This record gives sequence, C-alpha cells and structure tokens, in this order.
Amino acid sequence: MREKNSIVEIWVYLSGSPLLALFITLAAFQVGLFVYQKSNQSPLANPVAIAVILVATFIQVIDMPYATYFQGAQFIHFLLGSATVSLAIPIYRGLDSLKKRSFPLFVSLLAGGGASILSAVGIATLLGADKTIIGAMYSKSVTAPIAMGIAERIGASPTLTAIFAVATGILGAILAPFVLNALGMKSWWQRGFPIGVAAHGLGTSRAFSINHEAGAYASLAMGMHGIVGAIAIPVLFHLFNS
Amino acid sequence: MISGLVQILFFQSLGELVSKFVFPSLPGPVIGLVLLLIWLVINKKISESLAFVADGFSKYLGILFVPAAVGVVLFLPQLKANAVPIVGALVVSVILTIACSALVLKLLTKKTDTDA
Repeated sequence: MREKNSIVEIWVYLSGSPLLALFITLAAFQVGLFVYQKSNQSPLANPVAIAVILVATFIQVIDMPYATYFQGAQFIHFLLGSATVSLAIPIYRGLDSLKKRSFPLFVSLLAGGGASILSAVGIATLLGADKTIIGAMYSKSVTAPIAMGIAERIGASPTLTAIFAVATGILGAILAPFVLNALGMKSWWQRGFPIGVAAHGLGTSRAFSINHEAGAYASLAMGMHGIVGAIAIPVLFHLFNS
Repeated sequence: MISGLVQILFFQSLGELVSKFVFPSLPGPVIGLVLLLIWLVINKKISESLAFVADGFSKYLGILFVPAAVGVVLFLPQLKANAVPIVGALVVSVILTIACSALVLKLLTKKTDTDA
C-alpha cells in the first residue's frame, strides 16, 4: 500500500510539473521523425501529424486535461513567435529571385491566396459547416505560426487554424505534383512557388527534397504569403463578416 | 548561436512593442520578421550565428505546432460533425490554390522568360 502511495505521489508531482508535457511532446515528435525517415519521407507520414495523434491519445488515456498539458508545453509553443521572426532569413535569401520576377510572383501570390480563402470559406459555408470551423479556414494556407497569430486577431480558434494549416500542408505536399503536371508546369521555379503559396512549410520542405530551386521559390512564397496574409486576411474577414 | 538568438528575441520584442502601440491588427512576430528583414537588407549580410539559429528553427519548425494542435482533443465532436465540409473545403481549396498560382505564373512569364 505504501509503495502504491509513493508511485501516486511521484505521478502527481510529475503531471504537475512542465516536465511530463515537455517530455511527451519531444518524444512523440522523435517517434514521428523516425517513422518519417523510415517511410522514405513520405508526405503521408508527416511527423507533426504523428506527434499530435500520439500526444492527444496519451493525454486522453491518462486523463490529463488539455489545459494542464499546455501549461507545460507552452515553453515549446512560445518559440513559435521566435520561429516566425527567423523566417526573415529565408526571405532575405530569396530577395534576388524576387527582384528578378517581382511582378509575376506578386500576382501569383495574390491569385493563390485569394483562391485559397474564397474556395475554402465558400465550400465550407455551402456544405453547412459551423461558424467556428469557417473562421479557422481563413488563414489555413499561411504558415502555421503566422496563421495562428492571424486567427487570434480575427477571433477564430488558433487551435483549429493550426490543425487546418497542418492538414493543408500535408495535402498540398501530396497533391501538388499531380496538379502541376496536369497544368504542364515545367520550370522548377514555377513549380516551387505555387507549392509555397498553398502549402507553406510542409510544401516547402517537400519542394526542397525534389529540387533546390523549387524549394528556394517555395520558401520565398511561404514568407511572402505570411506577411501579405497577416495584413490582408483580417481585412477580408471583416469584409465577409460585416 | 547565442548572438543569433539574442538578435531574434530582440526583433521579436521590438515587433511586440510596435504591435501593441502602433499596429494592433498585426501579430507582433510578423512585425518582428519585417523589421529583421529590413535590418538584413541594410546590413547586406546574415551573421553565421543568426543563420545557424534560423536554419535550426526551419528544420524543426514542425514540433512547435504540436502543443497547439493537440488542442484538437477539445474539438473532436465538432470536427466529427463537420467532417464532410472540412475535408471537402481543404482538398478542393488546396488544389485550386496551387492551380491559380501556377496558371498566373505561366500566363505572365510565357513571353518574357526564356528559361521556362
């Protein structure tokens, strides 16, 4: 009996400190990375999706409230802001390409970003989704750290936005080659840029794994979409919801 | 590595301040990103330490979404009830986004670009 009590005590101590949440988050991501490598980097085996499923299942099994988990994991969450700031580096590296082709790239970004919002919000509305779901659709093609910032600004759920953004990244990484082939897109920069517009970070890492030029243009597109989206999406949201 | 982190945290803090007092509609980190970008353009180079930190972030960016995305447990019933509109919107929208963005590049560069 005494031994059982001490185990309970340890458990209570651990689940009250940030240690457990940090440990399961990092460990689950480690498992995700392992599966991703083993599957030859298949976009289906996305390490983020695997980690989320593992952690979500774990905290439900041990009956840990999400708020308790987040209290520990917030130290990881906090770094999202710093990661957003550090996106300046890939954008800076892409500035030369941007100068060379600024007009087509900007128009392409606006067309893609506009299509993303109109189609996602339109289809979700037509098929009768809840208001919270529709609100989280607005910034789903923007890189997740910025998308969550935008979600807070427009009163949408940052969590749902992050989930839709990650799902969009996975879908984009899988579907992009088919769409681009169907349209007969041949040069690498023209293949990379649309992937970055639609599928941000996950699409960009996919593009880098295929061709360096495609990856560079994809990361430029992701950065541009982040900045333009942060400015334009709140305006569009109020336009649609006034 | 430390000097790179210091620079990033400095611009992040600056961004938060500007967001709070000047542009409340923009997230602080996005303003920090733009300010750091302007700083890099003026300076014309990226220090080794900053490049190291930035590449580390972009390599493991994914893990930073996990704490927020685990919040999915709070939305499970709602996601189930809306499964069809969600899947439909996400799949069709990502295809249209890629297609529109690609078609514009194709139309606008056909005549001028020779390396296409």
